[in-house]
Order: sequence, then C-alpha cells, then structure tokens
Amino acid sequence: MSQFKKLIIEPLRKTNPVTVLVLGICSCLAVTAQLKPALVMGASVTVVTAFSNFIISLLRKGIPSRIRIIVQLVVVATLVILIDQFLKAFAYDVSKQLSVYVGLIITNCIIMGRLEAFALSHGPWESFLDGLGNGLGYSLILVIVAVFRELLGSGTLLGYQVIPQSFYDAGYMNNGLMMLPPMALVIVGVIIWIQRTRNPEMQENNQK
Amino acid sequence: MKRDINSNGYIFLYATILVVVVAALLTAAALWLQPFQERNEKNEKRINILRAAGVPDVNKDNAAKLFEQHCTASFLLDEQGNASEDGTLPLFVIDRRISVIPMKGNGLWGPINGYLAIDADGSTIVGANFDHKSETPGLGGEITTEKFQSQFSGKQIREKGRLVPVEFDAITGATKTSNGVKEMIDRTLEMYKPFFEKLNP
Repeated sequence: MSQFKKLIIEPLRKTNPVTVLVLGICSCLAVTAQLKPALVMGASVTVVTAFSNFIISLLRKGIPSRIRIIVQLVVVATLVILIDQFLKAFAYDVSKQLSVYVGLIITNCIIMGRLEAFALSHGPWESFLDGLGNGLGYSLILVIVAVFRELLGSGTLLGYQVIPQSFYDAGYMNNGLMMLPPMALVIVGVIIWIQRTRNPEMQENNQK
Repeated sequence: MKRDINSNGYIFLYATILVVVVAALLTAAALWLQPFQERNEKNEKRINILRAAGVPDVNKDNAAKLFEQHCTASFLLDEQGNASEDGTLPLFVIDRRISVIPMKGNGLWGPINGYLAIDADGSTIVGANFDHKSETPGLGGEITTEKFQSQFSGKQIREKGRLVPVEFDAITGATKTSNGVKEMIDRTLEMYKPFFEKLNP
C-alpha cells in the first residue's frame, strides 16, 4: 500500500518531473500565461501519462527494443487523437479548449520519459499510478507558475479580477513582462532554488 | 520455443500489426463520430454568426432555433456586390438589417477565422467574433475573448464613402496573431466593398 502511495506522492516533491528532472519545460512556457489553460493542460497530460503508461506496460514484453520509441509514440498519439475525437463529438466546448494542446501533449517529454524509465520495466498498475503521480507533479508546477503569471501579469485569477481597482487608481500597474514566456522560466528557476535550499541532499556536490 | 523479439521478421510483423490495428481504430472512430462532430461544427457556426450580430443569450441549445428566427436571408455575392448563384462571398442577413460576413486569415501557428457584423448603413461595425485553430492559449488565443471582441462594436469601416482601416488594441505578446486579425479584416472588407457601397453610397 505504502509503495503505491509513494508512486503518487514522490513525483509531487522529490522526483518532480519539472523541477527535478527538468522535463516538459516548453509546454510550461506556452500555457502558463493564465491559470485556466494551465489547469486544462495539467489534467490532459495527467490522463494521457497514466493511460499510455498503462498500455505500454501491458505491451512491454512484446515490444522489440529497437522500435520501442516508435511504438510508444504511436500509442501516445493514438490515445490523444481518440480522446480529442470523442470530445469533439460529445463535449465540443472542452474539445475547443483542448485542441491547441493536442500537439503539445503528444510531444511532451514527460510522457515519453515515464514510458522509457518506468512503464517498460514495471507492471501495469504500478505504471498507471506512476503516470498519475508524474502528471500531477507536472500540473502542480504549472498551476504555481500560472498563478504568479496571471496574478502579476493581468491582475486576475481564472479570469476574475483579484487586484482591486483602487490599487490601479493609486498607480499600480500590471507587469507586462509576466505575460511573456521567459518569465515562466524565471519562476520555475525560483521554485527549483527554493526546493533545493530546503532539501540540501538534492544539491550536487561540486567540491570533490 | 521462445520467439526472438529482436529478429527482423518479428519487428516487421509487430510494426505492421500495430499500424493496421491503430489505423483501423482511428478510422472506425472517425467514421462513427463524424455526424456528431459535423452537427457540433454547424451549431458552432450559427452561434458565432448570432453572437457577432449581437443577438443576446445565445448558447448551444437554443442556437438552431434563434438562427431560424433571426437569420432572414443568406446568399452569395459576386465581385460586383450583387447576389448571384455563382458568387463566392457568403453573406448572412440578421433581422433584415445586419449583414454578417465570414473572414478567414492566418495567425501565428495556424488559420484564424471570424465573423464581422455590419449595420444597415454599410459602415458601422455591430460586433465581431473570432476563432482560431492553434494559437497559444493566454496570448494569441485571447482573440476569442469577450474583452478583445467587444472593442470592435461601434467602429467605422468607411468614412465619406471610402474604406478606412479598422483600428483596435492588439494583444501584448501576440503580435503575429494581432497582425493576422488586422490583415484578415482589411482584406475581407476590401472584397465586400462593392456590396457596402450599394447599401449606402
């Protein structure tokens, strides 16, 4: 039991795919200008990592190692396109939200990374949980970055005005720099800094 | 006897089966879901036309009914601005007064499209509606928001009978998409110019 719990909890902290493995950075830049797209992207990646991990783990004994990357890509791409087709037919609004992310999900290195590092050598249930955990770890960072960027960049959260009008009247201005992708990198950098300061064992020892 | 999963024969067989299974799966899903998707797309188009024309409270359930009520005519225009069977420029008339014209253009990553509703005087914009396939969420994707679209209401496309460029606030960090919107509006209005001149010379 505790082992399964660990599979979900650890990627949120010590093996976080974004701040520790530094994967999925490109999509982190692209979708964190606002909170809502970050949430949609986080949820989609979580679903796709969990299920692709599960499927690849079921197939793992039969996949020839020389073409395993291609097989993984085919499985992930099929999964994403199938989900998108279903949403387009039965939940059109959600699909419109998601359409732009489809390409970003397929090429997300976290998915491929977990397939390679975990699903090929573990059972289906464990792999499913690992995918879930890593997806959530990714979402967590996305949400933190998006909260800062939307709050400081547009003064809103999820589209609702948070910073009161009186602040603007008193001369406060939104920071336009926050709307630009490089700020996501700076915020991720600060998160990594804080995380490493609080966990000294994560720091590389450079003095031999 | 255990199969060798790294032999060329096995790899070839595995890849072939995988591709055939996946292709069959995707084809089946696409064929089965196509009617539902087409219905959704048609509905979406109606919603966008009605919203551009400023019809209040349009949602996906009442769009078909409201479209019946409000859309009094739809026809194709030729290059001289006359209604014609061989025309290439579609036009929807809402409440016998507002002309809604479709626009197509290019954003940063892919196509963008929209509808522009022009009042009976042939020069005042009633409303605008934009959509996109793959613009960045939170940046170029902002063209679908009420905040961006509402600024077009009341703008003039003609002064003293001549087309004037429509000016609007671009989106910070989304220069290419904003330029795409501008180019799309200017080019579409140029094509429909003869029609507006006929409405109100």
